[in-house]
Amino acid sequence: MGAPRDLTRAMLAFGAMLRASGMPVTTSAVMDAVRALEAVDLMDRAEVYLALRTVLMSRIEEQPAFDRCFEAFWRFHAEEGQGLDGLVAAVQPFRKEEEMDSGAIEAAREKRAQVALDDWDQGEAADEEPLEVPGLSDREALMEQDFSTFPAEQLDEVARLTVQIARRLARRVSRRRKPTRRGGVIDLRRSMRANLMKGEIIELRRRARRRRKVRLVLLCDVSGSMDLYSRFLLQFLYALQNVFGRVETFTFATRLTRVSDLLRGPSYKGALRRLTEVRDWSGGTRIGESIREFNQTWGRLLDRRTIVLLLSDGWDTGEPDVLAQEMLTLKRRAARVIWLNPLLGNPSYEPLTRGMAAALPLVDHFAAAHNLSSLRELAAHLRVR
Amino acid sequence: MRTEIRKIHEMMESADYVTDPAIATSVHLAMTLKKPLLIEGHAGVGKTEVAKVMARMLGTDLIRLQCYEGLDAAQALYEWNYPKQLLHIKLEENTPHTMSEKEAAIFSPPFLIRRPLLQAISATGAPPVLLIDEIDRADEEFEAFLLEVLSDFQVTIPEVGTIKATQPPYVILTSNRVRELSDALRRRCLYLWIDFPGFDKEVRIVTRKVPGVNERLAREISRFMETVRTIRLAKVPGVAETIDWAQALSSLHADHLDEELVTETLGCVVKDADDIKRLKRELATGGIGRFVAAQS
Repeated sequence: MGAPRDLTRAMLAFGAMLRASGMPVTTSAVMDAVRALEAVDLMDRAEVYLALRTVLMSRIEEQPAFDRCFEAFWRFHAEEGQGLDGLVAAVQPFRKEEEMDSGAIEAAREKRAQVALDDWDQGEAADEEPLEVPGLSDREALMEQDFSTFPAEQLDEVARLTVQIARRLARRVSRRRKPTRRGGVIDLRRSMRANLMKGEIIELRRRARRRRKVRLVLLCDVSGSMDLYSRFLLQFLYALQNVFGRVETFTFATRLTRVSDLLRGPSYKGALRRLTEVRDWSGGTRIGESIREFNQTWGRLLDRRTIVLLLSDGWDTGEPDVLAQEMLTLKRRAARVIWLNPLLGNPSYEPLTRGMAAALPLVDHFAAAHNLSSLRELAAHLRVR
Repeated sequence: MRTEIRKIHEMMESADYVTDPAIATSVHLAMTLKKPLLIEGHAGVGKTEVAKVMARMLGTDLIRLQCYEGLDAAQALYEWNYPKQLLHIKLEENTPHTMSEKEAAIFSPPFLIRRPLLQAISATGAPPVLLIDEIDRADEEFEAFLLEVLSDFQVTIPEVGTIKATQPPYVILTSNRVRELSDALRRRCLYLWIDFPGFDKEVRIVTRKVPGVNERLAREISRFMETVRTIRLAKVPGVAETIDWAQALSSLHADHLDEELVTETLGCVVKDADDIKRLKRELATGGIGRFVAAQS
């Protein structure tokens, strides 16, 4: 059996390899891996694999990367055949080596190590398959990256993060407490009041955190100028739709379409397919007219508990006056109007388009929506007073 | 295979839990390394069952903390029994005890309501199994609080003092991935993903859990479930559904699947109206053969 120190060295190397593949492996996890190896049968490759996976993997998405690393690491060390005698020799006993004289062994060993290293290098480079799970640092990078610059293979990860953010938004909405019969904390004020006539405190009142339901109305610009962003924003909408419960979603370019029902369903791809069937993803944008249509037909959806989220870059080919008028109507009816503009992520951008300039004074909150991090910041604003 | 792992494997099997090497190895490591084990997987694949079986296996108590939205420290750790305290004050009103004596009395252990986490920490004797079920349903704030408790297994109650676990409990956390858990929590835990069982494992589960089902029916049920899981449904059925269904079929004295039987009992397999419609449509077009005979 390999000495603990060899195991430690091997595990440190393996940990580094996993980290290079984007898995967030800490040093203490590596130490745990050593302890885990001491608790399993080192001669049993399947068992070593299961043990290391239990300790070093922390979400199922990491499995492809882990499997690849384990495979490569195992092969590499088996080839090299030094140090980890117990761990390594068990799998591929070096019977041939015993027959060679020591000089030849040295040479062969060197050569083999060389080959293995070359192989490994190439293996990494030639690996066409994208890593399915970016590591911690990669994830932070994703947060800040502009939507328009994502390569196609990262879309799944972005989708996952989007859903995560949307869920977090849904939960953060209320921290206030409401009276309840059981659980929660003692509500001193209400207890006092309830017992005023009794002369002393007999009955206790309690309160627990309230999950206040906020309604959302989402108006999403899907015109040509928004093409880059609309697929991400729609993903965001899709996630919100399935998390918030009471969400109404509309898309517009030159006319308004209600898509709430189209977005409901288990898969985003399905939702997207249904969406493309109805869209007028094109031409100019008539924000003002679209909002008027909303106010006239769907105005009943608004009340003081409803937040309107408008996703648009503000490139309006319609009349600014109409837009201003309709924004005012929106603002009067809804709790808040939030305008998300992906262009705002660009430091040099100023909201100078005529439409934007007309609408801006009537907006409660104006924010960027060009990356995941900006979507995350939305949480603070999705509240009704 | 290490003898300890084989033993765990056997013990789990004899505790009526159909297991595989991955589960046995994880449980073994959780016990040897004394680290919490985070189990993820689809609903109904037997995540919670692992903790129950573990407690049965070790002959210790299972302490369960069911998480939900809004769960807070008072519900998870401890709380003073306010009504009892009030009553006690009332009863003590005319006794000669001094103020500080009375105070000491009402803030003593008999007035403490021990919630699951405190129960697990203050347990005497063999370390219990602490099951923190569906941690993804609790808020992030609670997760942070839990991290603190899990890192040193001690709790300070201002009026009583610090309580430290003599022997830390075995901790099992489960998650359905309703919410993504923090990296800090993941780092602290060992990890096990339980997937839907493969065909052979599911056959074993059915025959073990529902003795009234014969070999042929068990195979057909498992094959059917395998196929159903490849269809895009709103809610993919787990092992729990398989067992429910097998039980229903068994009580109908079925010995094989046919279209009529399946249509009648479809409600055991999928629980969503749209999914039922969808499956019925698939059955009508492809027939039962597509589901049962597929790969065998």
